[in-house]
Amino acid sequence: MSDLLAARAQMGTSLAFHIIFSALGVGLPLLLCIAEGLALKKKDANWMLLTRRWAKAAAILFAIGAVSGTILSFELGLLWPTYTKFAGAVVGLPFALEGFAFFLEATFLGLYLYGWDRLSARAHWLCSFPIWISGLASAWFIVSVNSWMNTPAGFVFQHGKVVDINPWQAMFNPSTPYETIHMMLSCYVATGFGVAAVYAFAIVRGKNTAYNWKALRLAMAMGAIAIPLQIISGDANARFLADAQPTKLAAMEALFQTTSGAPLQIGGLADPSTGKVYYAIEIPHGLSLLATGDPNATIKGLDTVPRNDWPIIEATHLSFDGMVGIGFFALLIALLFWLFAWRKRRWLENRWLLWGILLAGPLTFLAIELGWMLTEFGRQPWVIVGYLRTADAVTTAPGLNISFLLFSLVYLLLSFALIRLLLRLARSPFPPIKLPWSKTPYQGETMKVGV
Amino acid sequence: MSIALIALCVLWLALIAYAVLGGADFGAGIWDLFAVGKQQQRQRQLINQALGPVWEANHVWLIFLIVGLFTVFPSAFAALTVALFVPLTIALIGIVLRGAAFIFRTYELDESSRTAAIWSRIFSTTSLITPFFLGASAAAVASGKLVGPDGVARANLGSAWLSPFALTIGVMAVALCATLAATYLTQEANQQGEADLVRAYRVRALIAGALTALLGALGLLLSPAEAPQLWEGMFARALPVVIATMLIGLATPILLYLRHYRLARAVIILEAAFLLGSWGLSQYPYLIPPYVTIANAANDPSVILALLISIGVGMAILLPSLYYLFSVFKLSAPAPGVVKEEENQPKQS
Repeated sequence: MSDLLAARAQMGTSLAFHIIFSALGVGLPLLLCIAEGLALKKKDANWMLLTRRWAKAAAILFAIGAVSGTILSFELGLLWPTYTKFAGAVVGLPFALEGFAFFLEATFLGLYLYGWDRLSARAHWLCSFPIWISGLASAWFIVSVNSWMNTPAGFVFQHGKVVDINPWQAMFNPSTPYETIHMMLSCYVATGFGVAAVYAFAIVRGKNTAYNWKALRLAMAMGAIAIPLQIISGDANARFLADAQPTKLAAMEALFQTTSGAPLQIGGLADPSTGKVYYAIEIPHGLSLLATGDPNATIKGLDTVPRNDWPIIEATHLSFDGMVGIGFFALLIALLFWLFAWRKRRWLENRWLLWGILLAGPLTFLAIELGWMLTEFGRQPWVIVGYLRTADAVTTAPGLNISFLLFSLVYLLLSFALIRLLLRLARSPFPPIKLPWSKTPYQGETMKVGV
Repeated sequence: MSIALIALCVLWLALIAYAVLGGADFGAGIWDLFAVGKQQQRQRQLINQALGPVWEANHVWLIFLIVGLFTVFPSAFAALTVALFVPLTIALIGIVLRGAAFIFRTYELDESSRTAAIWSRIFSTTSLITPFFLGASAAAVASGKLVGPDGVARANLGSAWLSPFALTIGVMAVALCATLAATYLTQEANQQGEADLVRAYRVRALIAGALTALLGALGLLLSPAEAPQLWEGMFARALPVVIATMLIGLATPILLYLRHYRLARAVIILEAAFLLGSWGLSQYPYLIPPYVTIANAANDPSVILALLISIGVGMAILLPSLYYLFSVFKLSAPAPGVVKEEENQPKQS
């Protein structure tokens, strides 16, 4: 493997791994906050037991998120020193602010996870607020950097040097509002559907308890509120790209020739060598309509940029379609969820909906991965669009193949250990918990409560 | 005083914070490796209790340091990551495995299981390896062999960080972490009234401290040949600080011997701070001797200013939060929202 490919593979693996924990790191604390709030308000032992269980899972997931995030901060330098030299000068600020947000999150997480007996019930609940707020802020800061890589702003490039830097303008570059909101919402979508899927699984397997239903309803409410907003945000992103990054949009839609009244091509295999898309479903005028609102508008194709500036079209197109497909599937499940909840039918018994939720859980996480991949593949061959190519950013240090191999092994080990531990925790009964409003410890409905 | 220098001082404070907090976490892991005999289980328990609530926060100082470094001195950061690719990669893998192993071990249901024992071993081994490679990397920077006259890093597999000087400082970093941890653990055991644990960690602190001093002296002897600029700097502007470091270093064992544990903890923190301070002062005005200086590596002043303002605002929120964290779990100072310890306190789940 060439050094460049090894570095890209290592960075890609690291991000693909970390992004799951970041999404949970944004979503779970809000679930914890709401569940604990409900427990205290209603003096409901089930909500408290849920909070305790989720907190335990969160402790493990956050720790893995923290260490995998550390890998990334090192890798920016270890793998891409030229990029970091350039980006550090301009967008070091959001990185540093993210550092603070993470710091706050870790501090209150320590209080939250270890403070059950030391803090009063109210103080403990209040500690959950800084966790989800700083989690959300972290996501915003980091994605603002990715936005900057797509639409660089806030500096002048002169004689090979970066001058006239305005870090605030760099942070609030044109892509920032679109990308950050899309990522933040995706965390709530995936966490909501992901957690709901765990309890849907339990119910499908016959554990039809009030405890499981409470968990399912709360998680689904989060996912089902977030997903329609996410679809709207996605639409805004596509319209923005038509204007700001037409090449990326062309790659997403596999549009080789500039076309007026461009069709929407769903699925199919894009072949850059022939400039054709095979086996796609075409919706006439669809793309023009979606991207601009005018069915006959002209959409810039890949022919507007030189061949060696083309993104990785096949992967970008399929990642995009996969993400959108999952998004609409999740929307369907969410609509059914609201419909059944509103009609107060015995929707609880509907196995098809449960299976849908069960499926939507892992799929929404896949959608995050696909969305991130389309953003990265669609930006190639640039790492900072128009200024620095990925191939020029890679380190000159030796041994990148070995490094990639080592880190792959680390990720395999972590994934294996994590899944094993979470499954074992889920299957074991939770020890009796202390309820702030009662003197007797609470054991749960039955010994087999939970998943 | 240039704005880059102010920013560097802030980063150096973060380095000290990482050394005395994160360093002690590494040290606790090292003592986990040496937890033997009848007390083994209780020693581990004390280590778990001491680390649990704070390790994640302690660890963030490193992240802060890295992002601060590449914001304030982008080109120096790029040069360091190229030249120190191998030791930093190993340290990184160590940090990752260590954090993961600690959490896996804590949440493993059956503490006596084989898996828990494996995670325990990974946790303690990586706690030993990581500070070694971080220390060796720091020594390689001080030795002035990392960059060429053009400020471009020499990519190599290890000629700079495998020198006798770098190896000595690497081992010294391990010993320092062990000293820090043993001193803290002595105080924690003392607070909990565990007399035999106090005795065990007090002896460990004294031994590790002596070892640190010995290695420090060896490093000093090696530096005229291997880190000439550092050596000259030590006798130029850093001399008072160097002397103070040595005196404070002597005070710690005396205080431990006299059983002033709380004071010993404060003094060992001061010692680590002075040690890092004298390194910084000795190699001033170089970031990476002998070519990369504070002035020629500094980013645009407007960016550094923006960063400093952000750090000011961030610290105004963060420091009270951190103080709250430590006062709930580590200090005896009263804090709001804390309930009094009850007799039948349920065990941590």
